[in-house]
Order: sequence, then structure tokens, then C-alpha cells
Amino acid sequence: MTTPMTRAMLEVNELTTRYITRFRESIYAVDHVSLSVGDGKSLGIAGESGCGKSTLALSLIGYYFPPLHYTSGEIIIDGRTITGMDPDEVRKTILGREISYIPQAAMNALNPTQRIIHFIEDVVLAHHPGTPKKEIYERARERFELLGLPASVLQKYPVELSGGMKQRTVIATSVILSPKVLIADEPSSALDVTSQKMVIKMILDLMDKGIIKSLVFITHELPLLYNVTDDIMVMYAGQVVEIGSADEIVFDSVHPYTRALMGSIIVPEKGLRDVKLTAIPGTPPNLKNPPSGCRFADRCKYVRPECRVAPVDLHETASGRVYRCIIPEQELRTLYEHEKR
Amino acid sequence: MPGDPVAAIAARMAQGMSNATGVQAVYEQYTELFGTDKPIPEQFVIYLRNVLRGDFGYSISQYPRTVGDVISSSIGWTLMLQLPAILVGWILGNLLGALAAYIRKGFDRVLMPASLFLSNLPAFGMAVILLVIFAVNLKWFPTSGGYDYAMVPSASWEFMWSVIVHYQLPFWSIVLITIGGQAIGMRSMAIYELNADYVKYARFLGVKDSKIIRYVFRNAMLPQITGLALSIGTMVSGALVAEIIFSYPGLGNTILTAVRGGDYPLISATTLIITWMVLLAFFSLEILYGLIDPRIKAAQSE
Repeated sequence: MTTPMTRAMLEVNELTTRYITRFRESIYAVDHVSLSVGDGKSLGIAGESGCGKSTLALSLIGYYFPPLHYTSGEIIIDGRTITGMDPDEVRKTILGREISYIPQAAMNALNPTQRIIHFIEDVVLAHHPGTPKKEIYERARERFELLGLPASVLQKYPVELSGGMKQRTVIATSVILSPKVLIADEPSSALDVTSQKMVIKMILDLMDKGIIKSLVFITHELPLLYNVTDDIMVMYAGQVVEIGSADEIVFDSVHPYTRALMGSIIVPEKGLRDVKLTAIPGTPPNLKNPPSGCRFADRCKYVRPECRVAPVDLHETASGRVYRCIIPEQELRTLYEHEKR
Repeated sequence: MPGDPVAAIAARMAQGMSNATGVQAVYEQYTELFGTDKPIPEQFVIYLRNVLRGDFGYSISQYPRTVGDVISSSIGWTLMLQLPAILVGWILGNLLGALAAYIRKGFDRVLMPASLFLSNLPAFGMAVILLVIFAVNLKWFPTSGGYDYAMVPSASWEFMWSVIVHYQLPFWSIVLITIGGQAIGMRSMAIYELNADYVKYARFLGVKDSKIIRYVFRNAMLPQITGLALSIGTMVSGALVAEIIFSYPGLGNTILTAVRGGDYPLISATTLIITWMVLLAFFSLEILYGLIDPRIKAAQSE
């Protein structure tokens, strides 16, 4: 069960988006994904490369560029449905203001020939035309200082900043309009450990200081999420395979894929330190032509013939766990216990 | 010296003289005037000293005019023809390339092959095509010269009109070739920039498309400035062919006559001017880059 619900800031119902290739093939990288993030809550999304995490991040924003196309489902931000809105209206009233985004590669996220403050001016003016430059500067300075960045950064060009500094500048810029929801797509994966820590701290600060209300944090490092977010969602091949509180997913996961994912990473947390590392054999399925049954079947240790028959639904058990597998929770637990011995 | 140029002048001056000693005297007089009786290294030192004083000596093929006089009367025509042509070609080429990158689809499909065709056409090819179509067949424009041969240069309206009419074909032949090359370069740079991460990020923060396009074109333009400096630097030698085909009274034509007439002082002087222009263009480019591209400044301050 996910953490007790407060008012939902971001609600996504059965969102499906696809890439349309040059050869007119559709690739469903986000397949009927539903999630909900409450006020003051954070959700982590984990999965291996190519599972659709980044596409989900792009899809959540509600503004689509080819080759990514919206197919079905809805996105509701603080009670306002943004799917189906006029794209120009979304750009003006939603992007950066209601929902904002931190890109994966902050290294190149800033225009190399523009001072940081001028970019911030363009962002603010796109939403509030006519704001005096002085006011924008004051606001940017205040926000940067609140987040522990020197105001002198504003006058600099991106090339004059170090990698970690650039990433933190991007974060501060993303929240300049105090968006309700922030989507962070692997904001720390390209950085060294020290910068990573600073970036994570900064993102947590955004929540603590009330600059943003809800956070969606995407990463391939499942254990990192344990310290950052309240809930965790695990994705595989464009679908949600398990969703639950951070504790449940990290220490007591039900789905074989989540188990395998945890088993393949070194976890510094107590109780998991001594677990032997095991790789997940095989590769994720090609989404151009996904298998008809369970998408994880080919790599699953506990696969049964009936797994491959029909698509498996995400379901909630009596004990409140949500996962996508045909094997009952109790039976899975027995299998895991049996393996330990 | 091969094809002794002094001998050519002496022969010209001694025409009709039957006295062998007289011809010999004329030859010796010119040998002394041009200093060709001295050893080559010494000639070179004398030449350098004179050049530093701004004296390029006498032109051999157009004696008794000085080299300075010949060049100053032709360089104006070249600058007036090529500088505007290169600038217009560069601006139009960049605009078209940028539009092709932004619009893509049909516009791009027409512009790209056209640009490739234009930029790969040799200068003389373009000049000859324009010449045949517009001057020979349609007779809209004159075939050669900088102005009507029957006129004497003056500040009259008729003369100005004649200059403008004669200007068109050489001008557009240079413009068209420049457009082709610049459009191709700009198109690929702009497409590259349009796919850059900063474009996506700016879009996701709701920045207006008009602003984003401005970022992209500014950044795509930077490498194109090198192309502009290169064209300006080499304009005298680069578009020489266009001048020759249209018998335009510019520096290109002067070089051709100099080479034909074995006019060494004139060849040296024009070569020197071309060298200076290239160096000057690149020097200005270096300074300009420091001002417009913050990445260069940051690299220097490290």
C-alpha cells in the first residue's frame, strides 16, 4: 500500500504515449500507467535502461514533441486536467508554472551563449509578460540564495560553471516559478558522488522549503530512492510492475522483477548488505513487438506456462500490495523463503 | 628572367628603330630603371625597402603607369562588386538555410538540392550561364565591362546607370554561388542546434518558440562567421574568374593582364594585397569571436 493519501497534486490515469518512428511503427513506451502523488509527497520511479522511465517523465509534462505522441489517458494537476488542452495553453499556463522538469543531461541543458539570468528572464516573461527585469533579478537572486547558490552565478555563462554547479543551476531555474509538481529525470546520475549528494539535498530542500509541493524522482538506482521518496514505482517494458511505499519496495518487494532488481545492486542499508549480487539474465523485450503475456516472463525465475497466455493486470492484494504478476503474493513469498535456505 | 619583361618593353619602345646601338641603349636604360641588371637577392632587398615606403615600382605591361596607380584604379571596382555580393549572398544563404532547417518538408526538399547544385557550380560556369541567358539570348544586360565603353567615367546619371546595368550579372553570379554554400552550412548547423538539449529544456519550461529560435540561430550563426571572413579574405582571388568573364575592370582582371604580360611588379603587389586581406580578415575574425562567443572568452581566461 502506498503512503496515506493527502490531496493529490499529480494524478495520472491510464496514461499511454507512444513513439511513432519514421516507418510509421508505434512503440508504446508508456503503457496504461496510473499514479498519484499527494501534496507534500514524493514518488520515485525506478527501472533499468529502456524501461520507459524517461519517456514517462516527458509524458507527465503534458506537452508532446514528435516523435513522442499522446495516445490516451489523463493527467490531472491539482484538480485540473491538462490532457486534451490546447498545446499553446499548456505551454503558457502549465509548463514551468504548474509542473516543471529537470532534464537528465543538465550539462547541455543551458544555452551556451546566454547568461543564466537572461534565460531566467525568458522563462519568467513567457508566463508573466511585462515583469520588470529588476523584479526578475531580485526573485532569481532570492531563490538562488535560498537554495545555497551564490547570486554571482546569475551573471555567468554556462561554460563558466562546473558540472555540479550547472546541475544545481538547472534545478534552481526549473523551480523559479514555484511549480506544484517537479519531475526530476535522473538529475544526479551524470555526477560524481559529492555533487550527487548536493543535488539530492537540494531537491529535498525544495520540498522542505515549500517551493514545490510534490516530487517525481526518476532513477535507475532503486536504493537511492529509499532515502529520497515516500513511494516507489517500479517499471518494466513501459508498464508499472509494482508500486508501494519505499519501505515495502526496498525491503519487502513482492514482484519477481523488483526482487531481481534489488538483488542486482549493492545496497548499503542494514539487513540488505550481505545479500549476494545476482544479475538479471537476458534483456528487456522489444517494445515494437511486446510479448502477449507477462513482459518479464522470458527473464523470470518463477515463470509458468500460463504466464505467457494473456496480458497480466496490475492488481491489489487483500494486504494492500499492488503488483503485476499472476502468482499469488503468499505463493511468491514461499518461493522466496525457499530460495533463501 | 624567363620571358624577360624588360626586353618586351624595350622592344616596344625601340619599334621602328633600325640602329642596333640605339636599340641596345634603350634596352640598357630600361634594365637600369627596373634594376634587373643587379643580382636577384639585391633586387629583392631593394623591392622590400621600396614596398615599406609604399612604392611598388613601375608596371611593366602598362608602362609608364606605376603599380600603385594601376591597383588603385581597379581595387575600388573589386571592392564595390565583391563586398556587397558576398554580404548579400551570405545573409540570404543563412536566412534560407535557417528557414530550411526550421520548416523542413517541401521547402527543404527544394532548397537543399538547389543549394548543392549552386555551391558546386564553378564560378566560371555560373558566370557563363548567366552571360548566355541574360546577355546573349535575352539581351537584358551588357556582356562585359564595368560601364559602357563609349563613355568616359564621370559623375553623371547616365554613367551611374551604365555602371548599375553592368554591375548586375557579375554581382548575381557571385551572390548565387555564395548563397548555395552558406545555405548548406547554415541548414546543418541549425538542425544540429534545434536538436540540442537546451532547446528541449527551454521548451519544457514554456519559453516561447520565437525566443528559442533566436537562441538556435545565434548559435548556428557563429561558425558561419568563419565562412564570411574566409570569403572576404579571399574575395580578390576567389571571384577573379567572374571578373575575367565579364571583363570587369577590377583587381581580378588586373591580375590576369599582369600574368599575361609577365608583369612581375604588378603580380607581386596584387599577391601581397591578397595576403594582407586574408590576414586582416582573420585577425578581425579572432577579435570578433572573442566578443560574440562567451565560450572563447572563458577558454582564454582559464
